[in-house]
Amino acid sequence: MTVEEIIEKLRELMKESSTEDVDWDSVTPDTNIETIGFDSLSILDLIYDIQQSFGIQFDAEHLTDVRTVGDLAAFLEKQLGAS
Amino acid sequence: MQGNRRVVVTGLGVVTALGLDEASFWESMLAGKCGLAPIRGFDTAGYRTTISSQVDDAALGAALKERKLRSTDRCMELALLAAHQALEQAGLVSGVQPPEPRPTATVFGTGGGPTLGVFNATRSFIEKGLDGIRPSTVPSFITNAVSAQISMRFKLKGPNYVIVSACTSSTSAIGTAYRMVADGHIDAVLAGGADAMINPLIFGAWNNLGVMSASPDPEKASRPFDVDRDGLVLGEGAGALVVESLDAALDRGATIRAEICGFGESSDAEHITRPDPEGQAAAMKAAMDSAGLNPGDVGFINAHGSATPTNDVCETESIRRVLGAAADGVPVASNKSFFGHLLGACGVVETAAVVLGLETGRVPGNRNLENPDPKCDLHLVGKESMDIDAPVALKNSFGFGGHNAVLVLRRWEGS
Repeated sequence: MTVEEIIEKLRELMKESSTEDVDWDSVTPDTNIETIGFDSLSILDLIYDIQQSFGIQFDAEHLTDVRTVGDLAAFLEKQLGAS
Repeated sequence: MQGNRRVVVTGLGVVTALGLDEASFWESMLAGKCGLAPIRGFDTAGYRTTISSQVDDAALGAALKERKLRSTDRCMELALLAAHQALEQAGLVSGVQPPEPRPTATVFGTGGGPTLGVFNATRSFIEKGLDGIRPSTVPSFITNAVSAQISMRFKLKGPNYVIVSACTSSTSAIGTAYRMVADGHIDAVLAGGADAMINPLIFGAWNNLGVMSASPDPEKASRPFDVDRDGLVLGEGAGALVVESLDAALDRGATIRAEICGFGESSDAEHITRPDPEGQAAAMKAAMDSAGLNPGDVGFINAHGSATPTNDVCETESIRRVLGAAADGVPVASNKSFFGHLLGACGVVETAAVVLGLETGRVPGNRNLENPDPKCDLHLVGKESMDIDAPVALKNSFGFGGHNAVLVLRRWEGS
């Protein structure tokens, strides 16, 4: 799976669980995930959806350094490669 | 006297069916407008009680979006909105600007906490099994979420916790805040309460308990102290007060809304739903003692006045026991005919009405008091709002489980 494909899938999952009204077409790898509705609370459901959808398990603690959509995609690319 | 420091209110927020701000809340009540209506959001076919007071969904959604307060459960959203209003009014936050971290504490009351989250998760679990349970269910049902989310959102770094004592929850939250500040533990506390129980499960449980009015007429259903009252009307809402030491408020030039000068609480230790005048009177007496009041000093009572047949008679006896003959001259009114019984939020929302009454010299009436119950032989305010020159007021709250909590508030006269 390419990073672009991961981001496309992420975008779909984020649409599902974001609490904000976001213009999803303008979301890029540089978009900070907090600005599109994911704080320490609302990201809980996104992590769960990612794990279900990508079929992987990881410790959510590893996401504490993730700031942008690109960071998250890079993290998932690594996880997918390892699994 | 309790504590050494004087304690004042410097910010106020209210979210009810009467509106999403202090002005609409107060103007509606003074005008005798009722916030009760047929239940929206689920089918009440088969329910004995079909009315409630619910916060307007469109207005709430718009306010949450504008203030960036969307959360995991309706109870928390109501609490966050009331908290934001109070903090903003007190000058401790500015709009949606990232808040400055502050040492302020957060003490909130709730009866049920995030009950909609529990209901939704349960339904999803039954439909889809384990995979249907979202992780956010944890912060959506764990009751500390009510204060924890406020603390996180507004960077309030003092202690935060939730007081759960049924209908006295937010009265005790304010009383606890008062003691924390009076005793010098902290300079400011955001105190309040929220409840949002109008979902098929929890409202259904209340329905089956049989303590709610069966009247289908929203205008007439909630009738505190009236001889034809037939039970409470459950509603949803939230309120918040910034409770601050007088010195801290003066130092930063805050606008002072009222002084909190006493608090008392007790337990009936008797029956789960039947109140006991001994317990209620003990809380009133303790509150008055803590403020150094004699019966003749009490100018007004904002009653619990739940409109259950039992409470209103019991509260009458309690007031008589504590005030004696002085009760004849003390106007008594319940606010519950306007917005029903807000459970864990009723204490703070009604305390907000006390603050507004002390400030404006006018109090809302007992809007459905058509035929006062002879057993409620108090000096009841009539159906209309009335002018009142009362510098000191009591706020009574009594709850299932035998919880009793009473606040004393004083008009702020500038010193």
